Amino acid sequence: MTAETIVRTPTSNRLKTTSLNNKMVTEYWDDLFSAKEDGKLVCWFEGVSINPLLQTMDISWCHGEAWSALLAAKKEEQPALEAAEERGYQRELCSYARTHLGSGVLTKNNQIPGTPNHTEMAGRAPAPDMIISAYPYCSTGQQWDEMLYRLFGKKVPVFNITLPYIWGNQKNDTYMHGEDFEDAVKFLTKQLRDCVTFLEEVTGKKFDYDRLGEIMQYTKKASELRLEAMDLCIARPAPATFFEWSLSIAPVNFLPSGPPIVDYFQKLKDEIAGRVDAGIGSVPKEKYRLFWDGIMNWGKLGWMAEKFANYDACMVAGRYTHMGFWQEPHLIDCKDPLEGMARNYLVCPINHSAPSMIDRITALCEKYEIDALVMHVARTCRAFSNPQYLIAQQVSKRIGTKVCMIEGDMIDPTFYKDELVNSRVEAMLEAIDAKRSMI
Amino acid sequence: MNVLQQDFEEAMGEMALAAASARAYALSWKDRTGRKVVGSFPMHFPAELVQAAGGLPVVLQEVADEITVGHGVIFPFYCGFTRSTVDQAASGTLDFADGIVFGDTCVQILGAADVVRMELPDINVYFFQLLACMRDSWTEENVYDTLSKSRRGVEQMLDTEITDDALWSAIHLFNQNRSLIREIYDLRRRNPDLLTAVELQTIVKSSMIMDKTEHTGLLQRVVSGLRERAPGQDRSVRVFVSGHMCHAPKPEILNLIEEAGAIIADDDLYTGFRYVSTDIEGEGDPILAMVRGYMAKNAKVPDPTKIDPEVDWEGYLLKAVAASRSQGMIILMPKYCEPHYYYYPEIKEAFEAQGVPHLLIETDHEEAPLESLRTRIETFVELARQREFA
Amino acid sequence: MNLYALGVDFGSMTAKAVIVDQEKRVVAWSVIDKGVMIEDGAREAIADCLHQAGLTFEQVAATISTGYGRRKLDMAQRTITEITCHARGANAMFPDCRMVIDIGGQDSKVIAVDDAGHVQEFAMNDRCAAGTGQFMGVLARALDVPLQDIGDLSLKGGHDITISAMCATFAETEVVSLRAQGTSTPDILAAINESVAKRTMGLVRRVGKRTPIAMTGGVARNIGVVRALETQLGEPLLISDASQTAGALGAALFALDDARRGIKAEPLQPDFRGEADRFVEPGGKGGCKPASLLIPSDPVA
Repeated sequence: MTAETIVRTPTSNRLKTTSLNNKMVTEYWDDLFSAKEDGKLVCWFEGVSINPLLQTMDISWCHGEAWSALLAAKKEEQPALEAAEERGYQRELCSYARTHLGSGVLTKNNQIPGTPNHTEMAGRAPAPDMIISAYPYCSTGQQWDEMLYRLFGKKVPVFNITLPYIWGNQKNDTYMHGEDFEDAVKFLTKQLRDCVTFLEEVTGKKFDYDRLGEIMQYTKKASELRLEAMDLCIARPAPATFFEWSLSIAPVNFLPSGPPIVDYFQKLKDEIAGRVDAGIGSVPKEKYRLFWDGIMNWGKLGWMAEKFANYDACMVAGRYTHMGFWQEPHLIDCKDPLEGMARNYLVCPINHSAPSMIDRITALCEKYEIDALVMHVARTCRAFSNPQYLIAQQVSKRIGTKVCMIEGDMIDPTFYKDELVNSRVEAMLEAIDAKRSMI
Repeated sequence: MNVLQQDFEEAMGEMALAAASARAYALSWKDRTGRKVVGSFPMHFPAELVQAAGGLPVVLQEVADEITVGHGVIFPFYCGFTRSTVDQAASGTLDFADGIVFGDTCVQILGAADVVRMELPDINVYFFQLLACMRDSWTEENVYDTLSKSRRGVEQMLDTEITDDALWSAIHLFNQNRSLIREIYDLRRRNPDLLTAVELQTIVKSSMIMDKTEHTGLLQRVVSGLRERAPGQDRSVRVFVSGHMCHAPKPEILNLIEEAGAIIADDDLYTGFRYVSTDIEGEGDPILAMVRGYMAKNAKVPDPTKIDPEVDWEGYLLKAVAASRSQGMIILMPKYCEPHYYYYPEIKEAFEAQGVPHLLIETDHEEAPLESLRTRIETFVELARQREFA
Repeated sequence: MNLYALGVDFGSMTAKAVIVDQEKRVVAWSVIDKGVMIEDGAREAIADCLHQAGLTFEQVAATISTGYGRRKLDMAQRTITEITCHARGANAMFPDCRMVIDIGGQDSKVIAVDDAGHVQEFAMNDRCAAGTGQFMGVLARALDVPLQDIGDLSLKGGHDITISAMCATFAETEVVSLRAQGTSTPDILAAINESVAKRTMGLVRRVGKRTPIAMTGGVARNIGVVRALETQLGEPLLISDASQTAGALGAALFALDDARRGIKAEPLQPDFRGEADRFVEPGGKGGCKPASLLIPSDPVA
């Protein structure tokens, strides 16, 4: 028990389909933990979802953020954080990286013959046979992979993909348009092709582009269904929450592509459509519709969902879920997918600058009829917190949404202050009430 | 005081004035010349481009002012440099810049630039993404492409054309300036009593701010003055200072180190040796020469924001500590500097393995309790001295 | 003719003094609960010590001061940091120890020491108070429990609660909140111990754990923190009743070294350009007053 109040009976009306997601995720991790025994090569990567390339070659993968998020969700992150601290990583460093590097230390120690094995979950990630860096925007990500490479003695083959940051040097540069954007697509696509060559060298196998095309067909379909399901949440009351969309990132982020993920989103969409028809909302008494800006707080997903439901507030959408993960599926040509993949990678929710981001968030807030923004300010994720003041100011100015800022972190619970969250959220809801009573 | 000495003092005085306020210097320069100023975020902007375009390139500096309005647009868990720069933009004290350029040094800088652009909608804030990966097959080509684009970007910003000749002139001038500062470093390595650490910082910082022709003239006077000085007796503990890759460490901290009984024999600070380590060599295509200069720099003084498996910062530091006959290394690590955070464990491991003492000090924009810093530094000096004379 | 040396540890909350003889035996020691804010504290500790030893100040061959207020003491020949002194003092108390954990009022330190008591590496808590005596003081006040009782009371507590805040102010909020929910005081105190131990473990990890481990500093008297730390370390802690005087003892031993070498004062650097208030040299180099003028003839304040 901690100082936080825990509500025993769930207030929020959770989707049933999400349990299928949990099952797929559990299976994925179990498969990964036994990858070495199954004779699979393992790739460590973080950042954009390059796993279709790996899946084409039958390579298993450990996505750093997903791994760190899992440890946090299972409350197993401490051994990794301690190993990182011991090595000299400072507490203010990106907690994703700290967790992953710490678990890398544990994994590496497990490789030393004669030393006791770390049996905690944090030490279970199988050692990498290759490392691929494909980090958008956050230079921290590139350094993270470089340090992993050094941690493993510079012996593991590594491939670096640079994702150009879409800043908009020219006045007529807008979302996915402009000379700089097209140059970036060309440059990134070329690197993806070179990455394919790298995979061929490491595995000694030929890359089957047809297989990639098949894989991307499923990813494309799954993504389309997810977006359609999200669109249904314009309904009042909203049939699903941002917290559930966070869980549902897995199938379009790090889970293997194939019929199961299409099936999942079909079921999810059907359940949501059913709720819309029956007028069932995720929050029984939806009084407020909120938007979550910033990265997720993985250790507190369920707890957060309950907290807001208790306030009669539905977190309808968020930047992390609604502006990322194959959100432009129509761009993918399954006969030659690399360019379409590159375009999607480039517009991940942190890779374009504030003006473009503010436009898209404003549009989402209007679409879902959002009353207020909850800015989750993750202490160690400056990539996400960079534009948050700008977003708060500008969106508020343009369409009058209220804002509250809550501090936390994606992994490290010591950065979260519950009392502050409560008082700020309450103040924001009171402000919404006040505004409504004046109309 | 003889003439050379007086000349030296005057030159140092002018440098100190510029270093004290980049804004004051830049505004006065604009007044005098009627030309434009381009501010750049650290670290790798080839300021020769601005020189060649007739402008004044100024490396943006952290100022000592308390962060006030800045905290309404950036969070406190950002390094002192980014917070100060954003605060300056928000409070109107970046008004001396007619344009600003920034590169992909780290994600905090990218965020700060986004805020600065929104705070200063009337000026052009230009981004150039110099590749971090030094050894990819496409690195040289991509860097060439970026620098060519940057040239056009600066031309647009200053509404002029940059000829190859003008660019070579600028390169030679900057090379000369760098080489004079390196000579000062050489003189001081042999005899650290020649200049205090703060005086050395003033020399480099003023170079980042002043018109290079003017500054080079001052440097010549300083070097002449220094060459005449007799070597002193060096009985202090010698330390190598590393860190602060974007902004100058506070003079108070450098003074504390000296007060504790240590001499800073050498450094890899940005407002220090890092800024002057590498010249741009060659002839013909000046952009190609700049590309090669950029790539060569990391091998000279490794930068943790660069990805290069052949270059080990920890190896460089161990060698540099030995070469400077230092008893140990003091790392000044700005709080929230992620690039430094990432690399530090490698350095820690290497130094512990080699038995070379090091002290990690976290710095921040806000004043640290000096007593606490003093205790740490004194203990380190005691430790280092005991090893030296054991 | 015996040689006596004096070490004074002038800390933020307490002043400690130790006198050793030429055999390195502790002849007297004193702890006064007056810290650097009250200048008398050091003088009282010195006076008390001299009185116990039956000595006058002139009979002391050398004096070294350490601690937060070390520079305020005119009668010391020179100053050495408390880290170096704690290492030396702990080594004298426990010659086998290879690590010293010192949790004091204002800060906490972890020091790796060699067999001669030399500092090899050290880590100190950064500017926040979590993990220090002050942290515990703030929280004890919030719980309305006298500081000297919190140790014993905490042993009655369970281990289900965590206090996650690193900052004393936010921890206080958490404590108040727990109290409001009806959590028992012993349970909360146990959680505070865990928190302090956890912060200390961070420093231990930074330096790299070495055993055996000694604990010095005021918080060593808090049995609850000691137990929590031992659990997290997986090691027993070497603690003596006089642990609080480790710094002063170390300073006294360094002073004894000085006295043996016939050195009254050793300047830390020759051409010091800053203030020269830390040491006194006969002849008054650098504008300092000669030692003899500053030593009071009557040791009693």
